[in-house]
Amino acid sequence: MAATVSETSKKWSWVNFKQFMKDYGWCYAFIALPFLLFLVFTVYPLITAFIMSFQEYGILESKFIGFENYKYLLENEIFWKSMKNTVIYTVGTVPVNILITFFLALMIFPINKRSQTFFKASFYLPAVTSGITMSLIWLWMFDPTESGLMNIVLGWFGFDQQMWLASSDSALFSIMLMTYIGGHGSGVILYLAAMGGIPKSLYEAADIDAASWWSKLKNITWPLLKPTTLYMLITGVIGSFQVFEATYVMTQGGPNFATTTIAYLIYQHAFQYYQFGLASAEAFILGFVIIIISVLQFKYMSSDVEY
Amino acid sequence: MAEVKFVNVIKEFEDEKKGKVRAVNNANFVVKDKEFLVFVGPSGCGKTTSLRMIAGLERQSSGDIFIGNRLVNKVHPKDRDIAMVFQDYALYPHMTIKENLAFGLKNLKTPKAEIEAKIKEAAAILSIENLLDRKPRELSGGQKQRIAVGRAIVRNPSVFLFDEPLSNLDAKLRVQMRVELSELHKRLGATVIYVTHDQVEAMTLGQRIVVMNGGEIQQIASPEELYENPNNMFVAGFIGSPPMNFIKARLDGNQLMTADYTLTVPVGLLDKYKAYQKEEVVLGIRPEDIISLNLLNHQPNHNVIEPTLKVVEHLGAELLFYFNIGEDQVTGRVGADAKLKSLSKVKLYINMEKMHLFDPNTQERI
Repeated sequence: MAATVSETSKKWSWVNFKQFMKDYGWCYAFIALPFLLFLVFTVYPLITAFIMSFQEYGILESKFIGFENYKYLLENEIFWKSMKNTVIYTVGTVPVNILITFFLALMIFPINKRSQTFFKASFYLPAVTSGITMSLIWLWMFDPTESGLMNIVLGWFGFDQQMWLASSDSALFSIMLMTYIGGHGSGVILYLAAMGGIPKSLYEAADIDAASWWSKLKNITWPLLKPTTLYMLITGVIGSFQVFEATYVMTQGGPNFATTTIAYLIYQHAFQYYQFGLASAEAFILGFVIIIISVLQFKYMSSDVEY
Repeated sequence: MAEVKFVNVIKEFEDEKKGKVRAVNNANFVVKDKEFLVFVGPSGCGKTTSLRMIAGLERQSSGDIFIGNRLVNKVHPKDRDIAMVFQDYALYPHMTIKENLAFGLKNLKTPKAEIEAKIKEAAAILSIENLLDRKPRELSGGQKQRIAVGRAIVRNPSVFLFDEPLSNLDAKLRVQMRVELSELHKRLGATVIYVTHDQVEAMTLGQRIVVMNGGEIQQIASPEELYENPNNMFVAGFIGSPPMNFIKARLDGNQLMTADYTLTVPVGLLDKYKAYQKEEVVLGIRPEDIISLNLLNHQPNHNVIEPTLKVVEHLGAELLFYFNIGEDQVTGRVGADAKLKSLSKVKLYINMEKMHLFDPNTQERI
């Protein structure tokens, strides 16, 4: 009997629909506009770009060329070089930066609230500054002449001046160095919040269990921060695979493609050479790689995370 | 020899709003070797703070704490030869139960074989052998509780500290764990200091009980002594469920005049109360000392009252009934065969042999 009633109430009818709209109509009305914007500005460009990646795109006329763009890229040396640069950049920055961020949070966590706020604000400040401005400041710091800050500092310790961004040997490392020194603000805040969420009684139990500072760090803090670390790893990898601003402002991908990243290559093909089809294909390859890596990270690293 | 001694211990906290707050005020007591001592009192009375000072998790503002004749004021928790069971169990969530039990021993660089042996022994005592490979999140509250106790046992400490360990368990499990803890104490033969806000737990577990309120120790005594001879109205009201009734009265000769009735004080007690003749006092009488007349074989000729019952609650084997004397609500407890009814007028006998009188100003027992 009950089943019959519920089946009847689930059946489509004008009366049921009117009741449904009366109950939930407002909800749909509220999400209609954002959904429309999402369709126009995200889904539509995505589909267009996907189609474009199979075309030799021209403003007046586009020609369908099948997988030619993808084939060209996979055989192109510069594409592979930019891929390699992106991977080196990611491997060289994400784990190191997570460790630096963790260390900073560890230093800030035990101090009083007021000082904590000061440090949080200080570390977060670069995040609210424009990336272009930051890059311009770094451009001065990496100035290869004796007026660059980095060279001045090296001079104090009796080291030779370095070419920094001007040499293909050190340019990519210089850009990586930039991330080591700045840009830990949001990570520090995330780690501090997560550290605050670890029950104090665990540390007290560990104190009674004769755990040293190192043992507590290794056996309690680090394992219990794994969800945060995993989050930072995944978002960090996604972000660093898309690195663009720094190379655009500081090196324009040079010297000798030493700092050309995938994102910069996409920009070059699209807006410098107007090869939108090629740029779209690159964008889809990048998106595909990011998805694969994210899935793998989740699969292999989230297994022993305690939420 | 693991006696724990507090000498003039004071603990003050800095509170942003209230300024300096004294959580424990001049506490002096000795927990005897192998004793099961329970701290009991309402929230914020200083009982947990006292326990944490013994553990070394809080440093006292002044005074001395001794564990086994050793002054431990500046001794790190790990070196105090204590183990503690926390209210939230504080099991390491990412470790298996076995790793949880082994963690302390590993930190102490105990040989592997010895760790294994100790875990095996503790697991056998607590019947947790089948849980060793699980993680805490896979356990029920009661199982977690056992593991927390197990973690304390493997360390083989002289003093066990328990901070409200049963408060997160359901009522049935609490009763079971109470019995187990009591048996465990006998088996381990260690000093146990136990904190709870539940007076039933305190009464059933403690060989002696420290009743605290507002940072002050109100009384230290055996459960029977606390129940029969409470030092003051706080202890009298806190120990016992339902609590002792307090009725405003005036003493005149051997007559105790309450708002509605005049009761007779037994001759043997009068001498104690002579300083309070013609004074206001507070009569304290336990619910079980208010007896329905239909349950008595004899008919007493005094101390019989006839109030109208407001409510009668049936608890199965017994009844709780409520009525007023003046503005004071009074609770009585009788066997279910008294067959009392709400809103009925009943004759009740007050057993004044068990009465207590309190000074309304100092709240101390007279």
